Amino acid sequence: MVTKRSVSLADDVATAVETAAGEDGVSFSAWLSTAAERQLRVRQGLRGVAAWEAEAGALTAEEIAAGEALLARLLSGVSGMASRVRRR
Amino acid sequence: MAVTRAGLVYGVGALRAAARGDRMMWAVHRAALANGIIPVVPVGVIAEGYRTEARGDRLQSLLDGSEVEELGDDGARQAGELAARVGTTDLVAVEVAGAAARRNCAVIASRQNAMKEAAGLLGHELILYAV
Repeated sequence: MVTKRSVSLADDVATAVETAAGEDGVSFSAWLSTAAERQLRVRQGLRGVAAWEAEAGALTAEEIAAGEALLARLLSGVSGMASRVRRR
Repeated sequence: MAVTRAGLVYGVGALRAAARGDRMMWAVHRAALANGIIPVVPVGVIAEGYRTEARGDRLQSLLDGSEVEELGDDGARQAGELAARVGTTDLVAVEVAGAAARRNCAVIASRQNAMKEAAGLLGHELILYAV
Protein backbone atom coordinates (compact mmCIF):
# COMPACT_ATOMS: atom_id res chain seq x y z
CA MET A 1 0.00 0.00 0.00
CA VAL A 2 1.28 3.45 -0.89
CA THR A 3 0.20 6.84 0.46
CA LYS A 4 0.58 9.81 -1.81
CA ARG A 5 1.77 12.99 -0.06
CA SER A 6 2.88 16.35 -1.30
CA VAL A 7 6.20 17.37 0.21
CA SER A 8 8.36 20.45 -0.20
CA LEU A 9 12.13 20.16 -0.52
CA ALA A 10 14.84 22.77 -0.81
CA ASP A 11 15.92 23.08 -4.43
CA ASP A 12 19.43 21.78 -3.82
CA VAL A 13 18.11 18.80 -1.82
CA ALA A 14 15.61 17.92 -4.54
CA THR A 15 18.34 18.08 -7.17
CA ALA A 16 20.66 15.91 -5.09
CA VAL A 17 17.90 13.35 -4.49
CA GLU A 18 17.09 13.28 -8.19
CA THR A 19 20.74 12.61 -9.00
CA ALA A 20 21.08 9.95 -6.31
CA ALA A 21 17.85 8.23 -7.36
CA GLY A 22 19.08 8.13 -10.94
CA GLU A 23 22.41 6.66 -9.87
CA ASP A 24 20.64 4.03 -7.77
CA GLY A 25 18.17 3.23 -10.56
CA VAL A 26 15.06 3.97 -8.49
CA SER A 27 12.36 6.59 -8.64
CA PHE A 28 12.48 9.86 -6.74
CA SER A 29 9.68 8.63 -4.45
CA ALA A 30 11.32 5.27 -3.83
CA TRP A 31 14.61 6.94 -2.92
CA LEU A 32 12.91 9.29 -0.47
CA SER A 33 10.91 6.43 1.01
CA THR A 34 14.06 4.37 1.60
CA ALA A 35 15.80 7.35 3.19
CA ALA A 36 12.84 7.93 5.50
CA GLU A 37 12.71 4.25 6.36
CA ARG A 38 16.40 4.30 7.36
CA GLN A 39 15.91 7.41 9.45
CA LEU A 40 12.97 5.81 11.24
CA ARG A 41 15.05 2.69 11.91
CA VAL A 42 17.85 4.79 13.41
CA ARG A 43 15.33 6.61 15.58
CA GLN A 44 13.77 3.33 16.72
CA GLY A 45 17.23 1.91 17.39
CA LEU A 46 18.26 4.84 19.56
CA ARG A 47 15.04 4.34 21.50
CA GLY A 48 16.12 0.73 21.98
CA VAL A 49 19.45 1.92 23.37
CA ALA A 50 17.58 4.29 25.68
CA ALA A 51 15.37 1.42 26.87
CA TRP A 52 18.47 -0.60 27.79
CA GLU A 53 20.04 2.45 29.49
CA ALA A 54 16.90 2.96 31.55
CA GLU A 55 17.48 -0.47 33.02
CA ALA A 56 21.28 -0.65 33.10
CA GLY A 57 22.28 2.97 33.60
CA ALA A 58 23.07 5.58 31.00
CA LEU A 59 26.25 5.25 29.00
CA THR A 60 28.83 7.71 30.27
CA ALA A 61 30.60 10.22 28.06
CA GLU A 62 33.70 8.01 28.23
CA GLU A 63 31.76 4.91 27.21
CA ILE A 64 30.14 6.78 24.33
CA ALA A 65 33.56 7.99 23.18
CA ALA A 66 34.91 4.44 23.45
CA GLY A 67 32.05 3.16 21.32
CA GLU A 68 32.72 5.84 18.70
CA ALA A 69 36.42 4.96 18.69
CA LEU A 70 35.71 1.24 18.32
CA LEU A 71 33.35 1.91 15.43
CA ALA A 72 35.97 4.08 13.73
CA ARG A 73 38.59 1.34 14.13
CA LEU A 74 36.31 -1.34 12.70
CA LEU A 75 35.31 0.80 9.72
CA SER A 76 39.00 1.47 9.16
CA GLY A 77 39.65 -2.25 8.91
CA VAL A 78 41.21 -2.86 12.30
CA SER A 79 40.17 -6.01 14.15
CA GLY A 80 40.10 -6.21 17.93
CA MET A 81 38.99 -8.11 20.95
CA ALA A 82 36.98 -7.11 23.99
CA SER A 83 39.47 -6.52 26.78
CA ARG A 84 36.94 -6.49 29.56
CA VAL A 85 33.30 -7.14 30.07
CA ARG A 86 31.17 -4.98 32.30
CA ARG A 87 27.72 -6.24 32.96
CA ARG A 88 24.59 -4.66 34.34
CA MET B 1 42.25 6.50 9.08
CA ALA B 2 40.49 5.71 5.83
CA VAL B 3 37.14 3.95 5.93
CA THR B 4 37.43 0.48 4.42
CA ARG B 5 34.22 -1.08 5.71
CA ALA B 6 30.74 0.22 5.04
CA GLY B 7 28.98 -0.96 8.18
CA LEU B 8 28.57 -3.67 10.78
CA VAL B 9 27.23 -7.20 10.78
CA TYR B 10 26.31 -8.75 14.12
CA GLY B 11 26.94 -12.40 14.87
CA VAL B 12 25.47 -14.40 17.74
CA GLY B 13 28.24 -13.16 20.04
CA ALA B 14 27.05 -9.59 19.55
CA LEU B 15 23.52 -10.53 20.55
CA ARG B 16 24.81 -12.42 23.56
CA ALA B 17 26.94 -9.44 24.59
CA ALA B 18 23.91 -7.16 24.35
CA ALA B 19 21.78 -9.59 26.31
CA ARG B 20 24.31 -9.81 29.14
CA GLY B 21 24.60 -6.02 29.25
CA ASP B 22 28.07 -5.59 27.81
CA ARG B 23 28.40 -1.81 27.88
CA MET B 24 30.92 -1.61 25.02
CA MET B 25 28.51 -3.56 22.84
CA TRP B 26 25.75 -1.07 23.55
CA ALA B 27 28.16 1.85 23.12
CA VAL B 28 29.29 0.73 19.68
CA HIS B 29 25.68 -0.01 18.68
CA ARG B 30 24.74 3.51 19.75
CA ALA B 31 27.73 4.92 17.85
CA ALA B 32 26.69 3.11 14.68
CA LEU B 33 23.16 4.47 14.84
CA ALA B 34 24.34 7.97 15.72
CA ASN B 35 26.45 7.85 12.55
CA GLY B 36 23.54 6.67 10.42
CA ILE B 37 24.80 3.10 10.23
CA ILE B 38 22.17 0.41 10.69
CA PRO B 39 23.86 -2.85 11.73
CA VAL B 40 22.86 -5.96 9.80
CA VAL B 41 21.77 -9.16 11.54
CA PRO B 42 21.39 -12.32 9.45
CA VAL B 43 18.17 -14.11 10.24
CA GLY B 44 19.94 -17.24 11.52
CA VAL B 45 21.73 -15.13 14.14
CA ILE B 46 18.39 -14.03 15.51
CA ALA B 47 17.12 -17.59 15.76
CA GLU B 48 20.28 -18.69 17.55
CA GLY B 49 20.20 -15.65 19.81
CA TYR B 50 16.67 -16.34 20.96
CA ARG B 51 17.48 -20.03 21.34
CA THR B 52 20.26 -19.35 23.82
CA GLU B 53 19.45 -16.06 25.54
CA ALA B 54 16.77 -15.47 28.15
CA ARG B 55 16.86 -11.68 27.81
CA GLY B 56 14.62 -11.44 24.79
CA ASP B 57 13.74 -7.88 25.77
CA ARG B 58 17.35 -6.78 25.38
CA LEU B 59 17.68 -8.64 22.09
CA GLN B 60 14.58 -6.86 20.84
CA SER B 61 15.98 -3.48 21.89
CA LEU B 62 19.12 -4.21 19.89
CA LEU B 63 17.18 -5.50 16.89
CA ASP B 64 14.96 -2.41 16.91
CA GLY B 65 17.94 -0.60 15.43
CA SER B 66 19.13 -3.33 13.09
CA GLU B 67 18.34 -4.59 9.62
CA VAL B 68 17.41 -8.24 9.45
CA GLU B 69 18.98 -9.94 6.44
CA GLU B 70 16.76 -12.67 5.07
CA LEU B 71 18.38 -15.76 3.63
CA GLY B 72 16.08 -16.86 0.81
CA ASP B 73 16.46 -19.88 -1.47
CA ASP B 74 19.68 -18.80 -3.15
CA GLY B 75 21.21 -17.57 0.09
CA ALA B 76 20.46 -20.86 1.81
CA ARG B 77 22.03 -22.85 -1.03
CA GLN B 78 25.12 -20.65 -1.05
CA ALA B 79 25.48 -20.83 2.74
CA GLY B 80 25.21 -24.61 2.65
CA GLU B 81 27.76 -24.94 -0.13
CA LEU B 82 30.15 -22.59 1.63
CA ALA B 83 29.75 -24.44 4.94
CA ALA B 84 30.61 -27.66 3.13
CA ARG B 85 33.76 -26.11 1.68
CA VAL B 86 34.78 -24.87 5.12
CA GLY B 87 33.90 -28.22 6.66
CA THR B 88 31.69 -26.76 9.37
CA THR B 89 28.18 -27.37 10.62
CA ASP B 90 28.00 -23.80 11.89
CA LEU B 91 25.71 -22.36 9.26
CA VAL B 92 25.13 -19.22 11.27
CA ALA B 93 28.83 -18.33 11.29
CA VAL B 94 28.95 -18.89 7.54
CA GLU B 95 25.85 -16.74 7.10
CA VAL B 96 27.56 -13.92 9.02
CA ALA B 97 30.70 -14.20 6.88
CA GLY B 98 28.58 -14.12 3.73
CA ALA B 99 26.71 -11.00 4.83
CA ALA B 100 29.97 -9.28 5.75
CA ALA B 101 31.49 -10.10 2.36
CA ARG B 102 28.43 -9.06 0.34
CA ARG B 103 28.04 -5.77 2.19
CA ASN B 104 31.72 -5.07 2.86
CA CYS B 105 31.08 -4.84 6.58
CA ALA B 106 33.08 -5.40 9.75
CA VAL B 107 31.75 -8.03 12.14
CA ILE B 108 31.04 -8.10 15.86
CA ALA B 109 30.81 -11.69 17.03
CA SER B 110 32.57 -14.29 19.11
CA ARG B 111 35.83 -15.44 17.58
CA GLN B 112 35.24 -18.34 15.24
CA ASN B 113 37.62 -20.01 12.85
CA ALA B 114 34.76 -21.11 10.60
CA MET B 115 33.68 -17.52 10.07
CA LYS B 116 37.21 -16.45 9.17
CA GLU B 117 37.69 -19.37 6.81
CA ALA B 118 34.35 -18.74 5.11
CA ALA B 119 35.19 -15.07 4.61
CA GLY B 120 38.56 -16.06 3.18
CA LEU B 121 36.95 -18.39 0.67
CA LEU B 122 34.78 -15.47 -0.41
CA GLY B 123 37.88 -13.33 -0.88
CA HIS B 124 36.93 -11.08 2.01
CA GLU B 125 39.27 -10.18 4.86
CA LEU B 126 37.28 -10.58 8.06
CA ILE B 127 37.48 -7.49 10.26
CA LEU B 128 36.24 -8.76 13.60
CA TYR B 129 35.65 -7.33 17.03
CA ALA B 130 35.53 -10.44 19.16
CA VAL B 131 33.18 -10.19 22.13
